[in-house]
Amino acid sequence: MKHLVKLEILRALRNKKFMFFSVIYPPLLYLLIAGRNADAVLPGLDVSMSLYYMVAMAAFGAMTAVVLGNSERIAKERELGWVRQLRLTALPGRGYVGAKVASAATLSLPSIVLVLLTGAGVMGVRLDAWQWVALALCSWAGSFVFAALGVAIGYLATGDAVRPIAMLVYFALAFGGGLLMPSVVMPDWVQHIGDWLPTHAYTALGRAVERGQAPHAGDVGLLAGYLVLFAGAAAWLYRKDTRTT
Amino acid sequence: MEFTDASKTYGSVRALSGLSVRLEAGETVALLGPNGAGKSTTLDLLLGLRTPDPGGTVRLFGTTPRQAVTDGRVGAVLQSGGLMEGVRVRELVALGCSLHPRGYPPEQVLATAGLTEIADRRVDKLSGGQAQRVRFALATAGASDLLVLDEPTTGMDVASRQTFWAAMRDQAAAGRTVLFATHYLEEADEVADRVLVLHRGQLLADGSAAEIKAMAGARRIAFTLDAVPDGRLETALRGLPGLTRVQLAGSSVRMRSEDPDATVHALYGLGLYPRDLEVAGLGLEQAFLTLTDRAEAQDGPDAAPSGHARPAPSARPAHEKANV
Repeated sequence: MKHLVKLEILRALRNKKFMFFSVIYPPLLYLLIAGRNADAVLPGLDVSMSLYYMVAMAAFGAMTAVVLGNSERIAKERELGWVRQLRLTALPGRGYVGAKVASAATLSLPSIVLVLLTGAGVMGVRLDAWQWVALALCSWAGSFVFAALGVAIGYLATGDAVRPIAMLVYFALAFGGGLLMPSVVMPDWVQHIGDWLPTHAYTALGRAVERGQAPHAGDVGLLAGYLVLFAGAAAWLYRKDTRTT
Repeated sequence: MEFTDASKTYGSVRALSGLSVRLEAGETVALLGPNGAGKSTTLDLLLGLRTPDPGGTVRLFGTTPRQAVTDGRVGAVLQSGGLMEGVRVRELVALGCSLHPRGYPPEQVLATAGLTEIADRRVDKLSGGQAQRVRFALATAGASDLLVLDEPTTGMDVASRQTFWAAMRDQAAAGRTVLFATHYLEEADEVADRVLVLHRGQLLADGSAAEIKAMAGARRIAFTLDAVPDGRLETALRGLPGLTRVQLAGSSVRMRSEDPDATVHALYGLGLYPRDLEVAGLGLEQAFLTLTDRAEAQDGPDAAPSGHARPAPSARPAHEKANV
């Protein structure tokens, strides 16, 4: 399985379009949105633009890498029959799902690190050393949840349907969770829904760290719940898929 | 490996009904049958990709197919099996070797499959025949006891097909059991120790290629007449004893007879002087057609009557003719 993870990473690194979007694009977006008034504090928020969007863009970048990349590649591999071919090797069923999640999460790391470096180097964000480390770890650990979601979508949809479905889920989560704009500017009902989205809990981890606190147990619990849900769905869909195709 | 009363139903379609067959270690077995005969279903059941209907069992090496696959005892090339994209041939084959519990060194597998020269090529840039060789390499990446191949030479030219079967014979000589499904009957004739003929989900015949040919019983008679026969003569030709099939093309006549001696005797009795007369046993291909035809005739009202004219045998895949 280690070999499979290695090959998956190697293959994604060779895909330049994919690398551009998942690695270069979040820090660029961070600069575009928060670059002009880094110190401004948005109404209803207690942190500056540069801090708010650093966590949001680290999450957004990680999500791009793992949700969009994973779902499309898996749907394509199912169509090509590669998943079926793998079923004929000694690799256990969970090995494929595990390898996909692990390799996706490895790919989310560069975009997270790059956003944090942009925050420190360009945007002038100053945090304690432990906060930087904790931020990177929280953003990375949280991306596993979305990697599992990507695998599940890849098994749920086929061919042409996978991109629109993945996009819809991806943007709904990004907007609802306040990744692209703070949820305080949105209607109340959106905020209420947003509070229960995994993306909201995901950025809440980083925001707690920025305020010098430990991540809240409620957010961690919610994310863990989603991880179980998504990974369970992915495993169930994988078994169903290998039975019927 | 053993099938016991294994059936598989998809909705209202019975793809396989009550298959019971046992393969012995070291055999090279060909699975023949027209499209829809249940070949792919049989292989899927054998590999644990599908499960048989309740009541039937499939056992591999004394355990479940899935367990046997996980133990690395089976290597397989399926038609529907795809390859990982965006990686090089060498990398993919190395993956196959590392996933196998008793994997061989990648360089050795590449050489055996004839891939050394294209080892650095991207998998998604390969021709159909090259991709098929990569699938073969993945199936032989480790010390498996059984090789399962579904239409392994599809997309290969004649030269690579011969190379492929040479590699296959080496595998069999090394003591592996080989089971392959094919449309090319000459492959079954040349390579297999044992031939299984599937038809409409049932095992129609099981024996060596020679036995299958003998089972079909009929012999082929071919000759040329001095002139194109008129309607009256044609009726007389069709009325000759022992015939199961007659085919007229201009002045040349091809027949199939279960009693060639009587047929030829009666032919001279018509006062004809047939030239280039040939009486020969059936090839495996014709034997196969005879067997499936016979089954069709017994099976259902939609079955084709025997003795009707049909296109000349050629090297086309069997299913095209068997479904006429």
